[in-house]
Amino acid sequence: MKKQTVLLLAAVVVLPLVLRPAIASEIWIFAILGLGLNLLLGYTGLLSFGQATFFGSAAYVAGWLLKHYGINVFLALGTGVFVGAASAAAVGYLCVQRSGLYFIMLTFALNQLFYFVAYQWTSVTGGEDGMPGIPRPAFLGIDFGDPLAYYVFVSVLFLVSLWIMKRIVESPLGKILQAIRENEVRAEAVGYNVARFKLAAFVIGGAFSGLAGVLYAMLFGIVPLEAIGFVTSGNVVFATLIGGSGSLYGPVIGSFVFIWLSESVSTLWARWPLLLGVAFVIVVLFLRGGVVEAWSRLWQSSKQKL
Amino acid sequence: MSLLLGQILNGIATGMLYALMGLGLSLITGVLNIPNFAHGALFAVGAYLLVTAVNVLGNFWVGLAVAPLGVALLGLAIEYAGIRRLYAAGHDYQLLFTFGLSLILAEGIILVWGPVGISHLPPEILRGGVDLGFTFYPKYRLFVMVAAGLLVFLTWLFLEKTRYGAIMRAGIENKEMVSLLGIDIHLLFTVAFALGAWLAGIAGALTAPIRGLSPGMGVDMLGIAFVVVALGGLGNLLGAIAAGLLIGVAQAIVAAYWTEASTVVIYAVMAGVLLVRPQGLFGIR
Repeated sequence: MKKQTVLLLAAVVVLPLVLRPAIASEIWIFAILGLGLNLLLGYTGLLSFGQATFFGSAAYVAGWLLKHYGINVFLALGTGVFVGAASAAAVGYLCVQRSGLYFIMLTFALNQLFYFVAYQWTSVTGGEDGMPGIPRPAFLGIDFGDPLAYYVFVSVLFLVSLWIMKRIVESPLGKILQAIRENEVRAEAVGYNVARFKLAAFVIGGAFSGLAGVLYAMLFGIVPLEAIGFVTSGNVVFATLIGGSGSLYGPVIGSFVFIWLSESVSTLWARWPLLLGVAFVIVVLFLRGGVVEAWSRLWQSSKQKL
Repeated sequence: MSLLLGQILNGIATGMLYALMGLGLSLITGVLNIPNFAHGALFAVGAYLLVTAVNVLGNFWVGLAVAPLGVALLGLAIEYAGIRRLYAAGHDYQLLFTFGLSLILAEGIILVWGPVGISHLPPEILRGGVDLGFTFYPKYRLFVMVAAGLLVFLTWLFLEKTRYGAIMRAGIENKEMVSLLGIDIHLLFTVAFALGAWLAGIAGALTAPIRGLSPGMGVDMLGIAFVVVALGGLGNLLGAIAAGLLIGVAQAIVAAYWTEASTVVIYAVMAGVLLVRPQGLFGIR
């Protein structure tokens, strides 16, 4: 087994021993969301500031079905993946036709569209109060109400997601997406329909976000309005960048750093977003390239000394 | 009928404010080639500075002059101390930086002015309404309509008829060429950012007596400014006005019949337009 795989499996085992299982679960859920964004940001070169759209939509729809129709866990996951992909297809269709700064602004504006629908449609979403009372139904005799059992469930799904994402980025599709990132005009000239491949990346990324959304709803038993808000979209971008958007494992590391920090600091001070903002600014001004790059630079310089 | 006409007038007034926001954002985004996620926060700071300035200086008109200048200075500082270092950094880091700034400014507003919304009265002379024949209309809104229209016109004069405006438009089109012609591109960037911030600040200051103030007002406006730019096009003055009026009037009409949908409609109109015209209203890039 490769070094990364061993480290990852070790982390999956150790995490619930040192952190509350709920926080440990949140780390892997957020990492799935980050994987979806990174397919766009790191591999296709598309900066989406609207991943919360797919995350939140999936959480609301699957949460609603879980709550009112008592669907089973796997049907809920399937619903989430589908809603994530479908909403991403709709948003992506409008966004991929524009490029650069327009693209970024459109992903944010459409995020706002979904946010305000959730905000106003109180009979379904609960508006600002969120949608509470989402169950975590047992399946085949396994009681997911137990935090540790749910943690195992989440981490297995995370590992599967990571494996699928690895296969995607190493597949011909993944290579085409990277070609688009490197040189869009050339990819088009070689004969690839760039807009269609961007849309494909969007839909796949949306499916991952949707999966994360359902898992999140079941983890906390509630879909808060923030789940579909722009701050969530920004947090994923931040986590992916501090982890390093250039690598497959970047968002995983970023998610770990971000959730761990936010869970430990946000309980201390109500003005936590202020610190978050300061953290963003500091990272951008002084720590560009993220943890992974800082790590590899350190690694290389230590090897050179030897 | 008079309700509808009154709402359309409301829509024109807010639409002109949206156009101002879009224009400022368009200048910053176009000239500096960065995504400015702090534009809404600058708008909010403008509104709050107006309230403080009026309370301290005791005069609305002085406040209206001072508050946007404060925002412009803030913009100057932001560009000089932060954004200037990020031109080579890529949109992702620029976005994170401006987004971080918007969080800091929004939280700063809560720390300084408190989390609860504030209402602010228009100046004595602009209180009350006038009879327009078909409807009785608040004076202050008429003033905003005229003032915002005038500001848009002045911005147009500056961009189209002055030498520096021409340089700025050239900067949107081709930065390298402008730089090669011996023009200090960094100075141009700083001025563009400060001017965009000034426009956001004055839009915020003008809005304060209409809608009142709340810490979340910045983010709401950010999305709207993006819509104006996405529909109107970067650096397109006519586009900004058309897009601003379109969503302003659409919002006001919907608000009269279905209040809950009045914010959603802004984004729905945008999605609808993009569905038919992916390139925006006037089709550039």
